[in-house]
Amino acid sequence: MGFGEYVGSELSTLGFYAQQHFLLVLYAVAAASVIALALGVLLHTNELTPESWTRKMRVGSRETALLLASAALTVPSLALFGLLQPVLGIGVAPALVGLTIYGTYPVLRNTVAGLSSVDPAVLDAARGMGLGPVRRMLRVQLPLAWPVILSGIRVATLILIGVAVVAAIVRGPGFGQPLFTGLGRLGAVNSFNQVLAGTLGCLAVAAVYEIAFFAIARLTTPRGIRVR
Amino acid sequence: MSDDVRPTIARPMIARPTIAHPMIALQGITKTYPGQTRHAVAQLDFDVPDGNIVMLIGPSGCGKTTTLKMMNRLIEPTSGRILLDGEDVTGVDGDQLRRRIGYVIQQVGLFPHFTIADNIAVVPRILGWDRKRIDTRVDELLHLVGLEPRDFRDRHPRQLSGGQQQRVGVARGLAADPAVMLMDEPFGAIDPITRDRLQDEFLEIQRQIAKTICFVTHDLTEAVKLGDRIAVFGPGGVLQQYDTPEQILTHPANDFVAEFVGSGAAVRRLSLLELSRLELEQISVDGVDSPNGHPTYRADAAGRAVAWSHLPGVSEMPPLVTVPLSGTVYDAVDVMLDMRTPLVAVVDHEDRPQGALRWDALVRELPTKGRRP
Repeated sequence: MGFGEYVGSELSTLGFYAQQHFLLVLYAVAAASVIALALGVLLHTNELTPESWTRKMRVGSRETALLLASAALTVPSLALFGLLQPVLGIGVAPALVGLTIYGTYPVLRNTVAGLSSVDPAVLDAARGMGLGPVRRMLRVQLPLAWPVILSGIRVATLILIGVAVVAAIVRGPGFGQPLFTGLGRLGAVNSFNQVLAGTLGCLAVAAVYEIAFFAIARLTTPRGIRVR
Repeated sequence: MSDDVRPTIARPMIARPTIAHPMIALQGITKTYPGQTRHAVAQLDFDVPDGNIVMLIGPSGCGKTTTLKMMNRLIEPTSGRILLDGEDVTGVDGDQLRRRIGYVIQQVGLFPHFTIADNIAVVPRILGWDRKRIDTRVDELLHLVGLEPRDFRDRHPRQLSGGQQQRVGVARGLAADPAVMLMDEPFGAIDPITRDRLQDEFLEIQRQIAKTICFVTHDLTEAVKLGDRIAVFGPGGVLQQYDTPEQILTHPANDFVAEFVGSGAAVRRLSLLELSRLELEQISVDGVDSPNGHPTYRADAAGRAVAWSHLPGVSEMPPLVTVPLSGTVYDAVDVMLDMRTPLVAVVDHEDRPQGALRWDALVRELPTKGRRP
């Protein structure tokens, strides 16, 4: 059976895989972004952390979070899902948790970088006009750091589209399933077609995300920091 | 420390009587930064009179910016009290206090993602003004700082030049109509020509709005040009002298101030002292009354001086040269050197002589009006 014919006959299954893959990455990126943004924002300034926290404690916690997130990224994905399996079993749960762990670092790193890159003069003016820490963060710091944070989310998404394939070893949803099945029985009927469909499927999901991010970046970047 | 206050911008010729109402009062303020033994500001008692421009000046690290930032509690004093218009604000909510005080800094710090109108409207929005009132206020302020609202309202800070940005910065500081403005070297990063124009416009604006302004600068020329009073800070945040510009220049309180004012102080003073502030030598019209020793001049029908008619002890009359009262002593010296005459008549805007200035008087102490002996 040729590849075209294969795709034609398996269209609804492949569509289902695509949807699963897309949603798995979406949920994982959303969870990773929420965690990373919350950590990054809270640990950015002493005025948002409990008063008993010294500057040293805050910076220490932030660097520790970055270190842990980057260390998690260096664990081989195959091993990570294997380690999660005894705790979370198989299926969506370990896949989602594993991907969230992988996605945290790029977002956290860019959140920290974006918030630190805000012009100190702008913050001094904001403080001098009586904007409190929360208002300053929501009205000034986050909007100005947003393009950098968004590119972190985008990098996380691209990484997770690839890693999501590996989640199939714990029966995670998505294109990992046809890929792993195909790879496991290479040489058999349609095995290569399965591998090819899984690979191209990932690319298609990535393309959809790229287009989405382009649109989101256009829509959410304040005009004042786009103009030059 | 004298209590009198040079009349600000309106420049009437008589000094305003003593006023007892400080808009800002710092009482026994000390600031020590954590981990440092030396005070940044030490035991400072400091009053800023209502409606005055007070310039804080001194070498780097002398605590002038620290002092300014303690007035709106961006920096919390280690000890002491801060009074705003008689109210103790040492313990009130800092953010709410700062919404009542205008704040303008050297780097401007406009929000780049806001339009110019939104930048100006920040504090009024927080204070809950309604839309219409905010729009009206924004347009009014843009007019005040010389930017056409129609052209600038919807632009973004990055589309503006440095000078235009600082105009917006000043408008933003004035947005909620605060009684007090704190300005930290607002014109420090602007090219000299634009800076000069902004200073002139600033004085013009102050004439209209009569705010109490505290202004940090490191530029003595700026301090003398803009200030009703100048506070000279020395090392360790100690206030060395707090007085009118001419007092600082003519009677530095100690060696530190003398050195800070610099070796060029005498010449600098010439270009800073307006003739209208000098006690000029009395002169009179020929024939009306000629008290002994006063120079007299012949005048035309409109009262304009035409020529000297009598100069004590001089037989050959030099040509009568005039300088306008609005000029500075420097202008008078320039004219004297240029025309090779030791005597000029100082005239008002209708060319009527108000007095004379002699070369000899320049090398003696120049007597000015409106200050204590």
